[in-house]
Amino acid sequence: MAQKLKIYHLYPDAMNLYGDLGNIITLVKRCEWRGIDTEIVDVKVGDKVDFGAADILFMGGGQDSGQRIITDDLVGRGPAIKAEIEEGLPALLICGGFQLFGHYFETTEGDRIPGISVFDAYTVAGNKRLIGNVVVDIAHIASEWQTQFRLSTTVTSHTTLVGFENHSGQTILEKNTKPFGYIIRGFGNKGDGGFEGAVYKNAFGTYLHGSLLPKNPWFADHLIMCALYRRYGNVETLKPLDDSIEIAAHNAAIERSKTAKTLSI
Amino acid sequence: MSRKSLNFLELYATCFQEKVAKNITNITKRSLRYGRDDNRKIASGLAMAKEGLDSSLRWNDEEDCRAPLAMTTFCLYNTFMRKFIAILAAEAARALSQITKRGSGSALPGLVAQKVDPNIITKLANKLPGGVILVTGTNGKTTTAKMLAGILEAAGHKVIYNFSGSNLSRGIASFLIQHTNFWGTRMDGNIGLFEVDEATMPEIVALVQPKAILVTNLFRDQLDRYGEVDKTAAIIGHALELCPDAKVILNADDPLVASLSHYNKNVLYFGIDDDYKTLSKGAIDSRNCLSCGAELDFNPRFFGHLGNYICPRCGAKRPSLDYSLSNLSFTVEDSKATLNLPFGKTDISIQLPGLYNLYNALAAAAISDYLQIPSGIIAHTLGTISAAFGRMEKIKTNDGKNLFLMLVKNPTGFTQTIETLTFDKKPKNLLIALNDNFADGTDVSWIWDTEMEVVKNIVESVIVSGIRGEDMQLRLKYADYDMSKVTLEKDLSKALELGMSKTAAGETLYILPTYTAMLALRRNLSDLGLVKGFLE
Repeated sequence: MAQKLKIYHLYPDAMNLYGDLGNIITLVKRCEWRGIDTEIVDVKVGDKVDFGAADILFMGGGQDSGQRIITDDLVGRGPAIKAEIEEGLPALLICGGFQLFGHYFETTEGDRIPGISVFDAYTVAGNKRLIGNVVVDIAHIASEWQTQFRLSTTVTSHTTLVGFENHSGQTILEKNTKPFGYIIRGFGNKGDGGFEGAVYKNAFGTYLHGSLLPKNPWFADHLIMCALYRRYGNVETLKPLDDSIEIAAHNAAIERSKTAKTLSI
Repeated sequence: MSRKSLNFLELYATCFQEKVAKNITNITKRSLRYGRDDNRKIASGLAMAKEGLDSSLRWNDEEDCRAPLAMTTFCLYNTFMRKFIAILAAEAARALSQITKRGSGSALPGLVAQKVDPNIITKLANKLPGGVILVTGTNGKTTTAKMLAGILEAAGHKVIYNFSGSNLSRGIASFLIQHTNFWGTRMDGNIGLFEVDEATMPEIVALVQPKAILVTNLFRDQLDRYGEVDKTAAIIGHALELCPDAKVILNADDPLVASLSHYNKNVLYFGIDDDYKTLSKGAIDSRNCLSCGAELDFNPRFFGHLGNYICPRCGAKRPSLDYSLSNLSFTVEDSKATLNLPFGKTDISIQLPGLYNLYNALAAAAISDYLQIPSGIIAHTLGTISAAFGRMEKIKTNDGKNLFLMLVKNPTGFTQTIETLTFDKKPKNLLIALNDNFADGTDVSWIWDTEMEVVKNIVESVIVSGIRGEDMQLRLKYADYDMSKVTLEKDLSKALELGMSKTAAGETLYILPTYTAMLALRRNLSDLGLVKGFLE
C-alpha cells in the first residue's frame, strides 16, 4: 500500500503572501514523484481539526489584516499543535507564521499579540522593513539531519538555504530555541546579519520565502523524511530525484544575491 | 552624469539668486545655446527683464537699491525663471538621454525639473482648462489610459497623457514639460490624463487636484516595494481624502477597491454583469470581508478576487453598478460585450483578448460617460484601440512570423494573460523572460502564485530567459510541464533568436516578459528594425 502524508495548511486564505503556495506544491510534487500520496488539509478559522492526523504542518506569512483575523483561533489551537510538535511533527512556519509560533508579537503601539510559544522567542515591530535576497548557512543543522537519517540524497551535500526576506518584525531567540541558520547574505531575524529563523525539534521557523522549498529541495526532503519516519518508522532513505533544475535555481539565487541590492526602508 | 548635471543646475540657481544682473546675461547666452526654435522669444524676453532691472538700478543707485533688487530677483526667479530653468534643464536632460540612449528618456527630464522647481507639476497642470484625470491601480492603468485618451480625442479634446508607462511623479513632470511652450505659459492640450503609480497617488493628488480618479483594481504586485496590498489601498484612500471634490470611479467587483468609498463619497461604480467563469483556481488577495473578516462568497468569480461577492456573515456585498458589461465573448485576439450606461446601452468590440481588457474598456467608458461623451463615440473608438506599449503588442517580422508581446508583472495578471492563450487550443510557442530588477519587483516569489498549469497542455515549446530564468524553469517543472519542451537561455537576445527560429512562418511566438525584460527585448526588436524606438 502506498504511503500517504497529510499536509495541514494553516489559514491558506488569510496567511498566504509571497508565494507560500510554492512550498505546498513542492512537498506534494516531491512526494508524488516518489509514489507517496499526499492530502492537503486546509485549516481555516473555526474549522474542527485533529492535529494528531497531521504529518506536516505549514503556515505562511500574511498581511496585518490576515494576522488579526486568525490570532484568536490560532491561540485556541496552540496546546494541540504544541503537543504534536513535542512528538516530532515536522512543521514549517514562514514569516508571520514564524512570529506567531513564538511567545508574542509586540506592535509599535506596545500591544502584545499572543503567539503559541512553540519557539522560545518573541518579536517586536521594527521601524524599518528589511527586504532582499538571503543566503543562509545551515551546515550545523544539515549535519544533524545526516546523523538523524542515513540520507543518500542531495541533503547531505548542501549546506545553504536561499530565499527572499521582507519583514519589519525583529525576532529575538531565547535560550531554549536555536537558530535555523546563520546569515551569509541578508538581514536575518534581528536585521543584524546574524541568526536566521529558529528550530525546535522538527519545527522550523524562518523569514525566508521566495518560495523556500522549491529552491532548497534538500530541506523539503528533510521535512518529508521526518514525516515518513514519524508515521511509518524504519524509513531508511528517500528515492533520489534529479534535482539539477532545483540546484541551478539555488545557485542562480546565490549568484544574484551578490549583485542585487537589498533595501532597509 | 545626471548627478553631475543636477549639482551644476543647483549651483547655477543659487548664484542666479545672488547676482541677478550678471547672470541674466549668462543665462541668455546659455539658453540661446540650448534653445531650439524659441531662441528669439527667449532672447527678447530676457532682454526685457534685464532692461527692467537696469532701470531700477539707475533709479536707485544708492545703497537702498538692494531691497527692490532682491525683490525683483526673487520674483523673477520664483515665478518665472525657476520654471523656465526647470523646463530648460529638462529639455537638456531629454536631449542628453536621447544622445546617450540611456533609458527611455521619459523620467530623467522630469526628475531634473522637479529638482529645480518642486512646484513644476502644479504650475503646468493649472494651465489645463479641462482638468486632470488620474488612473491608478495594479493592473490595466496603461491600457485604460490609452483607451480613454483615444475616446477623449475622438470627442474633440486635446489630451496630454503619459503613454509610455513612466508613472512616477518625475515621469508626469516630464510629460507636462514636453507639452508646454518654452516659457511654460501655455499647454498644448486642454485635458490631462495620467496613470499614476499607487504609492505616488497622495503626492500627485496634492499637486494637481484632479477632476476625476479611476482605480482599476488592487492585486499584490511588487510587494517588496509597497509592503502589502492593504497598505496600498490605505495609501490610495489617503489620496482620495485629499481631493473631496474629485469624482472617484471604482471597480465594484474588487472588494478592496470598492471599500475606498469610505474615504470619498463622490463615487461611481463599474463592474461585470455576466456569468463568465475563470479557468484559474483561486483568489489570492482579498477574499475576506473587509467589514467582518469572514470569507466572501463569489457568484460568480471572474478572476483573482474580482467578482460578484457577498459576505455570508454580515451581508456586505458588491455595490450596485453604475456602469457594467454583459454578454461577454472572447477569442485569442479580441473580445465583445454589451456596455450598459446610465442612459442606454451599446455593443462594443475590442481588438484585445481577455476579460481584464474588457475591464479596461469598461473603466475608460465610465469616465468618458462621466465627461458627457456620447456612447456612439465611446463604442466606436474602443473598437479601434490597439495595445499599449508592450502589452499585447503584435509585431510582424520580415519573414512573416508574428510576435505577440505580453507584459507580465504580477500573479493575477500573468494567470489572466496566459488564460487568454487557451481561447483556442492550437499548440503555442512561448518565451518567458523573468527579471528581478527594481521595476520588475526584486522578489520573484510571485511566480509561484501564478497558475502556469493553465497553459501547460497547449504548449509546443517554452524558452525561459532573464536574470531569474532558472526560477521560471523550476516553476514550470513543478507545474508538470514536459521539460523536454523547455529550454533555458539566460541571454535575452539569444532567447529571442531561438524563439524566432522555433516559430514557423505564419505562426506566432508569444513573448511574456517582466517590465525591464520587455524594455530589453524591445531594444533587440528595434535593432532588428521590427519596432521603432522607445517613444513611438
